[in-house]
Formats: sequence, C-alpha cells, structure tokens
Amino acid sequence: MTSGVTVKNELPTKIAVNNLQFFYGDQLALRNVNLPLYTNKVTALIGPSGCGKSTFLRVLNRMYDLYPHQRAEGEVLLDGRNILDPQQDLNLLRARVGMVFQKPTPFPMSIYDNIAFGIRLYEKLPKSELDGRVETALRGAGIWDEVQGKLHASGLSLSGGQQQRLCIARTVAIHPEVILFDEPCSALDPISTAKVEELIDELKENYTIAIVTHNMQQAARVSEYAAFMYLGELVEFATTTQLFTLPENPRTQNYITGRFG
Amino acid sequence: MADIAVESGRVAYKDAAARRARALRAFRFRNGSFHGLTLTAAVAVLVILGGVILSLIEGSLPAIRAFGFGFLYTSVWNPVTDQYGALAAIYGTLVTSAIAMFFAVPIGIGIGIFLSELCPEILRRPIGIAVELLAGIPSIIYGIWGLFVFAPFLQRHIQPALIAAFAKVPVLASLFAGPPYGIGMLTAGVILAIMVLPFVAAISRDVFATVPAVLKEAGRGIGCTTWEVVRHIVMPYARAGVVGGIMLGLGRALGETMAVTFVIGNADVIPHSLLAPGTTISAAIANEFTEAVGDLYTSALIELGLILFVITFFVLAIARFMLMRLERNVG
Amino acid sequence: MAVYTSRRRSNAIWLSLCYASAAFGLGWLVIILATLLWRGAGGLSLAVFTQMTPPPDQSGGLLNAIAGSLIMTGLGVAIGTPLGVFAGTYMAEYGRHTKLTFVVRFINDILLSAPSIVIGLFVYEVMVTRMGHFSGIAGAVALAVIVVPVVVRTTEDMLLLVPAPLREAASALGLPRSTVIRKVAYRAARAGLITGVLLAVARVSGETAPLLFTALNNQFFSTDLNAPMASLPAIIFQFAMSPYKAWQSLAWSGALIITFAVLALSIFARVLGSKGSSR
Repeated sequence: MTSGVTVKNELPTKIAVNNLQFFYGDQLALRNVNLPLYTNKVTALIGPSGCGKSTFLRVLNRMYDLYPHQRAEGEVLLDGRNILDPQQDLNLLRARVGMVFQKPTPFPMSIYDNIAFGIRLYEKLPKSELDGRVETALRGAGIWDEVQGKLHASGLSLSGGQQQRLCIARTVAIHPEVILFDEPCSALDPISTAKVEELIDELKENYTIAIVTHNMQQAARVSEYAAFMYLGELVEFATTTQLFTLPENPRTQNYITGRFG
Repeated sequence: MADIAVESGRVAYKDAAARRARALRAFRFRNGSFHGLTLTAAVAVLVILGGVILSLIEGSLPAIRAFGFGFLYTSVWNPVTDQYGALAAIYGTLVTSAIAMFFAVPIGIGIGIFLSELCPEILRRPIGIAVELLAGIPSIIYGIWGLFVFAPFLQRHIQPALIAAFAKVPVLASLFAGPPYGIGMLTAGVILAIMVLPFVAAISRDVFATVPAVLKEAGRGIGCTTWEVVRHIVMPYARAGVVGGIMLGLGRALGETMAVTFVIGNADVIPHSLLAPGTTISAAIANEFTEAVGDLYTSALIELGLILFVITFFVLAIARFMLMRLERNVG
Repeated sequence: MAVYTSRRRSNAIWLSLCYASAAFGLGWLVIILATLLWRGAGGLSLAVFTQMTPPPDQSGGLLNAIAGSLIMTGLGVAIGTPLGVFAGTYMAEYGRHTKLTFVVRFINDILLSAPSIVIGLFVYEVMVTRMGHFSGIAGAVALAVIVVPVVVRTTEDMLLLVPAPLREAASALGLPRSTVIRKVAYRAARAGLITGVLLAVARVSGETAPLLFTALNNQFFSTDLNAPMASLPAIIFQFAMSPYKAWQSLAWSGALIITFAVLALSIFARVLGSKGSSR
C-alpha cells in the first residue's frame, strides 16, 4: 500500500498523514494516502492534473470544510494531534497551517490592511508595534522595498507577482507553523516566479512547507522531498534527488521522463 | 529578516499563545452570533409572508363568517345594506389583466427578440436600459398619465371608432357598446399593458440571451432565415423562461393598484361593455378602505385583499417555477 | 424557388413586426416623459419645494409631502436594509445549500412581486388597528416590507459573485466565517450591495398603495411619526383625482419630481453596479 515510501531516516515530522481517504460526494478522490511532512523541510507534490495533489493540500488545513458533501477519512496528525477530529477548532488550525493560492488573492483593501487585518484579529497591538509587524512580514516576503512608499494604496493595484508575495506576507504575518503553497507560480511570469521560489527557500528556515506544482523543474529547484501522485494515490515519496534521478516506480519514471501527464 | 519575526515570536510565545486562545474564543462567539443573526433574518422573511397571510385571514374572518363562499360569486356590493360580494372586483381584475396580457405579451416578446437578435450592437445596451427604466417608473405616473392624457385621447379618437366598427358584429357589439366614457375597463387594461410591457420585454430578452450561440449558428448553417432561427430554435429553447416572464408580468398586472385606480371608473358592478367603468380588487381597496365604516365593510375589503394575494401567489409561484426550470437547463 | 421567396417574405414580415414593437414600446417611454415634462415643468417653481400643500384652488407647494416621503422612505430603507442584507448573507454564505435557503429564496421572489396594496393591508392590520390611528411609522414599516425582498435578492446575488478563492484565502488565515463575510465578502461586493439599496429606494419612493391606509395623508407639515404623514405619491393621488385645476397642476409637478428622482436613482445604481462588476 505504501510501497512508495522509501525514506527511512528519522527526521522530526510536523504533519503525518495516515490512511487518508477523501470523497467528493460519493466519488473517491484520494485513496489511502500515507505521507509525512518533515519539520522545516519543503515537500513538493507533483503529478498530472486531477491526480489529487491540490485536494491533498486542502485536507491539511481542512479548507474542504467550506463546502458541503466533501469529507476526509483517516488521520492527519499535526504535532501528533489528529486535525480531522470534528472537535478541531478550524480557525486555530488555519492560523497554524497557512495557505497561499494559485491566483493571488489580495483582499479589497489597502496593502497595509491586507497584512494588518489578520494580525489585528488575533492580537490587540499598539499602532507602532502593528506597524513593525507589518513591516517585518512585508520584508519577510521580500516585497517591502517595492511597497513601502504606498502602503495605503489598494492591494489590487500591485502586479500579479507582487500580489502573490503580498499574500505570502499576509500568511507569514500571523505566525503559522506550516505553509501550504497551491501552485503559487502558475499565474506568474518567470521573474516573479524566481522571486517566489527564492522566498520559499528562505521560509523553510522557520516553517514546514508543502508545495503543489505542475512544474517539475520547480519541484526540483525548491524541494527536499517530493511525492508523486497519480489518480488519487500516492505512488512514490522520496528525497527530491532520488525521485527525480532514481525513481523506483515505473509510473513515476514515465511521468518524469514525460511519457504521460 | 524572517529570523526577527520568529525571534520576537519566541520571546513572547507564551503570551502570544494565550492571546491567540482568547482571540479564538472571541471568534467562536462572534461567528456564532453572526450566524444566528443572519439565520434569524432569513427566517424573518418567511415570518413576513406568514404574517401577511395570517393577518389577512384574521381581518377577513367577519366577512367570511357573514358571506361564506357566496362572497366569491355574488356581485352585490352595497355598503348601505352591508351586503358584499367580490365577483365584480374579481371580474374586473381578471378582465383588465387579460386585456393587458393580450397587448403586452406579443409586443413584449417582439421587443425581446429585437433586443437579443436584431438590434445593432451599439444600440443594444442603451435600448435595453431604457426598457428597464420604463419598468422602474412608479405606477402612479402611469395612472395620472392615463387619467389626463390617455383616457381623453381614447374617448375622442379610439372609442367612437371601435363602437362604430363593431356595431354590426354580433358578440363584439355588446363588448364595445357605447357611450365612450374614456375611463373604463379597456382603458385600464391598456394602461396596465403599457406598464407590464417592459417586464415582459426585459425578461424575454434575458431568456433569449441564454440560448447558446452554437445552436443559432447551427440553424444558420442549414440555411434558416433569421425568423426561422427565432421561431424554431430560440423560442422553443426559451419557452419555459418566456412563460415565467409572462406570469411575472401577469402577477404585476393582477395586483397593480395605482395605474388602474385612476382610470377604471370605480363602479362596483360587472359592466357588460369593455368601454364602461368597472372596478378591480386593488382599486376597490384603494378607493374605499379609508372611508369604510363598519367592521363588515372593512372586513369585506380585507377579504378582497386576501383573494388577490392568493391569486397572485399562485401566478407568481408558477412564474418562479418556470424560471427555475430554465435556470436548471442553463446551469 | 417559390418556397424560398415565401420564406423570405415571412422573414421580412415577422422581423419588421419585431422592429415595430420595439419602436412602439420605446415610443411610450418618450411620450410619457414628454407629457410629464410638458405638464409638470409648467407648475414647477421654488414654491413647490418651500410651501405647504394648499387648500383647493389656492396656490401652494408640496413641501410637507416631499418631507414626508423623504422621512418614510429613509426610515423604511433603514429598517428594511439590515434585515435584507442579513437574510441575503445567510442564503449566500452560511446556508448556501440548505433547504431553508431554497424556501426563503422562493418566498422572497414571491414577496418581490407581491401586490403592494396587500402589504398595506398587512401593516394596517398589525400596526394601525393596534395603535388605533394612522401614522408615519406604519407607513415606514410598510415600505420596509417592500424594501426587504429587493435587498435580499441583490445581496444574495452579489455575494454569490464574490470569487471563492477570496473567501478561501481569508479562511486560510484562520479567520472565522463572520469576519470573512463582513470584512472581505462585503467589501468585495460593496458596489453591488449599494446598488441593491439604491434600487430599493427607487422602488419604494414611488409606492403609493401601501401608504394609503398606513400613513394616510396630511395637509400640514408633520415630522411626528406617531401621526398621519403626507407623502408625495398620496398627495398626487388625492390632487389628481380632484376637480381643482391648481391641485391637478401640483399633482403633475409632484409626478415629475418623483419620476426624475426614481430615474436618477436607477441610472446611478446601474452605473455603480456596472463599475463594480467590471472590476
């Protein structure tokens, strides 16, 4: 069942997924997935469209809960506690597990408020401290220099790449432990893509990261571990180097060499 | 740089965790109360409808007790003897609405076809907006215009011609029997038609716009003329929606008060001629309610309102049902 | 070939009928507006806005009616809007796929087109008979009942247009649903929500029937919500049906004022709405 898992070393695990099944109504979308996300590592999820990689990501912060008729079975342990438990506080979960989406989604408010908004809701801070937090977050997302003169302009006035980094800053600002990236660069130009990738590389110092991507070069560039999914199943999980150079499963090999997908 | 964030985060870790827990509790409370607030508001919409029905029934009880079902099919309306029957008002309501639909349906659909299939691109939006604006004009404007402009015009030019033209035709002669009062059933019906027209037109246009372009192109592809495409492809596809639009317009016409009250003539009888004054349910209520003395009189008027509400409820329910069917086809 | 000729002929006939009906329909708009301008503008003067409604055959203005209309419309919208916005919010957000939403939507659509005179009777029954007299507040409540379905409809439609990723992004920050709705979805749908309220204002500012036996009418200036209150439509009704020339002329002026206020509101709402949706 878990034939693909070949990583045997004992790294600290931030999230452990055990026997995960996911349903859209009656339709099974994820079949018996077992996968660890190691602390402060970047794990890439690759596979053809419709293979369930985005679905998998949306289980980790229970984003699917927004919609009726979607449900997950199995275990997803965040620091040893099952987040699929109905008792789980979703707001707390999502504050701990942040998410960056495919298309940039700045809120219809100023750049400053885009960041301060989330912080303010969790903590009552004096203005100066809040300003500091906003600046730190924007610096952390490598966008401070570009926006510092126009913090009160609309977030929608930024370019696509800047918007995406604004969204990353917004996520970082509320101090999550895990960040999920759902194809964060598929709507961006190559230069913005490079900046975001650079950023992911810096972020792993402090955060555990999972990234879904279509682009295998990107997976190879940013991740240390990689998982190949196909038709709702986890086919293979290994270090990125191993998965791309010495895949064990013929299906992984076919995908990587471009024979399907 | 990110180090700084984490460093400051760790220093204040315990503190932050406590603050976060407090924030989360507040979230749950706020979300719960907002959820409750919106749910209450949604239920309030149902309560309003229930309240309308219940209060009308409550108000009608004296009249229902006094006249029973006879209220529906007697036409005596005599405040002096306290005898009331709804037939004249029901008759007037149905006849004026029928006249309105007779004119408004073909013309409204014609405008819909014009806007969706024939109109040059640059005129489509302005004309469409003009039609929608026509739908937004308050009905009292149609009423005052009907009373001062349209009724005298009909009286002078149209009605004499109608009376003369149908004088020799067996059935129509009595329907169009003189004298030309100006105000009356026909005038009210035509004013209603003008008022309902934009509704029918706007909905027809919206409904025709849902017909997929490929279907129309396929029709062209086998050599259909524009009219044949409209007649055999657009209309059948959009039928449920057009019927829904017509019913919506009918609902308006049945319940319309001010446009009718000005020009119906307010005679509590069943007129034999379309040119004679009559009344409708809403006109009777509007005219007599504040002057009604005595509980039974008031109650009879409220029962009229109840009848009107029941009729329009079913018409509008059918309209929504038809429009919903169309939406399902499209979606 | 004969078949083809007849097909072309029927095409030409039917299409010209469509053109004719369009010309006919728009003709009425032009005629009605032209008449209104012609009859209403003559009597329009500063006095219309500064003087009270006069006794028969004396000159005067419509000040008390205009003030009454503004008060009751404003109050009606103020009561109806929150109720409508919250109900619409439930339907688009918390209860999007529930049976309750389905039922409320159906009932709301019926209330949207329900005869306004029946709404008047309803408020008469629940307020006027209990209070024992006609009053401005009863008129405002009747208007509020008409505002609610308009606002419910537009609120639901506009919130459904807010893109799902925006909502997900806000949820992904760990924000509770209520904050996501109030701080993000409302903001994103703001133009549309305002459009809905403006359309509701346009709709009720010309309503006459529900006021006739709730607020009744008043020949004098009154801001007392507990007493009968004049309104522009009710005054137009009374004056137009009277035999006095001066009253009739004032009725036309009132009609002109209402029509252009309503048209201006609807056009403004439309411009705002299209701006909001193009972004």
